[in-house]
Amino acid sequence: MTAVTESAVRRRSVDWWRWSGRLFLVLLLGFTVMPMIWMIITSLKTGFAAMQYPPQWWPAEPTLDNYTRLLDPSGRIGQDFLHYFWNSLWVSTITTILAVVVAVPAAYAFSRFRFPGRNFLFFAVLLRNMFPAVVFLVPLFILMKALGLVNTHGSLILTYLTFGLPLAIWLLKGFYDNIPIQLEQAARIDGATRFQAFIFVVMPLSTPGIIATSIYSFIGAWNEYIYAYTFLTKQSQMTLPVGIQRFFSENATDWPGLMAATFIMSVPVVVLFLVLQKYFVRALTEGAVKH
Amino acid sequence: MYTSRFDYLYVAPALLVMLIVIAYPVYYTIELSFYKTPASLSLADKTFTGLDNYSTVLTSAIFWKVTWQTIIWTVLSTLFSFLLGLGAALALHRAFIGRALLRGLLLIPWVVSAVAASYVWKWLYHSDFGAIGALLNAVGLTKGPVNFIDNSTTSLYALIVVNVWKEFSFAMIMLMAGLQTVPESLLRAAQVDGASAWQRFWHVTMPQLQGVSTVTVLLLVVQNFNSFIIPFIMTGGGPVGSTQIWITHIYELAFLRQNWGVGAAYAVLLFLIMMVLGYFYVRALTRGDDKRAGA
Repeated sequence: MTAVTESAVRRRSVDWWRWSGRLFLVLLLGFTVMPMIWMIITSLKTGFAAMQYPPQWWPAEPTLDNYTRLLDPSGRIGQDFLHYFWNSLWVSTITTILAVVVAVPAAYAFSRFRFPGRNFLFFAVLLRNMFPAVVFLVPLFILMKALGLVNTHGSLILTYLTFGLPLAIWLLKGFYDNIPIQLEQAARIDGATRFQAFIFVVMPLSTPGIIATSIYSFIGAWNEYIYAYTFLTKQSQMTLPVGIQRFFSENATDWPGLMAATFIMSVPVVVLFLVLQKYFVRALTEGAVKH
Repeated sequence: MYTSRFDYLYVAPALLVMLIVIAYPVYYTIELSFYKTPASLSLADKTFTGLDNYSTVLTSAIFWKVTWQTIIWTVLSTLFSFLLGLGAALALHRAFIGRALLRGLLLIPWVVSAVAASYVWKWLYHSDFGAIGALLNAVGLTKGPVNFIDNSTTSLYALIVVNVWKEFSFAMIMLMAGLQTVPESLLRAAQVDGASAWQRFWHVTMPQLQGVSTVTVLLLVVQNFNSFIIPFIMTGGGPVGSTQIWITHIYELAFLRQNWGVGAAYAVLLFLIMMVLGYFYVRALTRGDDKRAGA
């Protein structure tokens, strides 16, 4: 009899927890998506419709004008915007490729070898993540000037590469740690050189890690603002985060246009992320949880 | 484990790049902090001033105000991001239909650029046409237009909300992974012993999450301390300096007022703070490593 009452009590308390969990998730989801929904709704309004009080919660006359204006290559605004978009795509892609090429051997070494100073090096890599971009702005700007890279995409790629590397190495190391060393040893006994074992045995197994690292680098480069804002002053070189700012704050802010621009700017990273979510999430948590 | 002279070759490319782009700026910043450098940054004309820049920093009227705001910003952002992330991780731990989709949606703010987020929230907070103010009016909480970010008493907190929106899902994803390492058998054993849901959470789950929580909190603290984009774009540190935090202040000193030496002195102090945090970070990360290496 007591057992029955006890289990009934427990049941009720579990349910209470579960329901408060659900309520919490609903509220949190609202907090998360409301701003994005409002961004999209605003982007479908005319400038006049956006500037009304109280606001039109749903656009009375929804229009895609803001989007067509931004994506129309014959107009001045469209031309500039597409140019920024292309610059962002170029810089992010090159950064990503280089980051993977440099991080793969480094991460492999950190995972496999015990060389003197290995720990020191690895923590130097991690600690780098802790210093703010602003601190590096002045010296890097001077360095870029000395290298003749100011107002080129090279300055951004070099910077993003450096600041993306610590994390890329860390993420990849987590994956290499999970690949049993016996696999390579077996390959070497079968006559493969260490390099061959690396290329033919380890590399294919670490593909998920490489995908995750690539998404991470790409998103990081795509979203970066501070260096792009400092290193690039020529309109033609600007990337999206800097470019859209130039656009809309010249006179009165065109809020629907700005919302459409932020929407377009967010689409590539959000799509990339949602499609490859599982790699991304796994890589991010690998290092923190495994210990 | 094998060792060979060639092992360094694997790390060499990464090291080389980082040496140029990291070691040099650090050295340069430290040097700059001991000199008075003309606005043009022409290094030939700099004069050695010892610790003058540092005493300027520590005695300036705005130093404590900015420091206090930085502490509020960092502590509140970290606290609420962690709590929301922990709540979400616990609520998402049990499998249900649509969980992956929900997790994906919750992670979007973390993926989109801070620039986009800042503009969207700036529009939401707009004092004349903002949706949040209109919503508060509609439900009768306020009357007339509401000023969130053009008002020096609320601006810092309004920005903290944006920051929490942007980064709580980072804590969520870390803690979700952490939860998977809590052994189901322990929870069940506690349940058999009559522990309530709260007791199971507090005495079984939380101690198991300690490692991940430490790393997550440290990463959040570092990230918040170093935030720049949200205050810079949304308020530019204003109104009347009410959203000025260390980083935006350094930027203003160096780039807007060409006060290079003082800005560099701030940056060096920031280095030192980060070093202390970094020490704890590394310790939290390596606690398991040492155990494994010893085994």
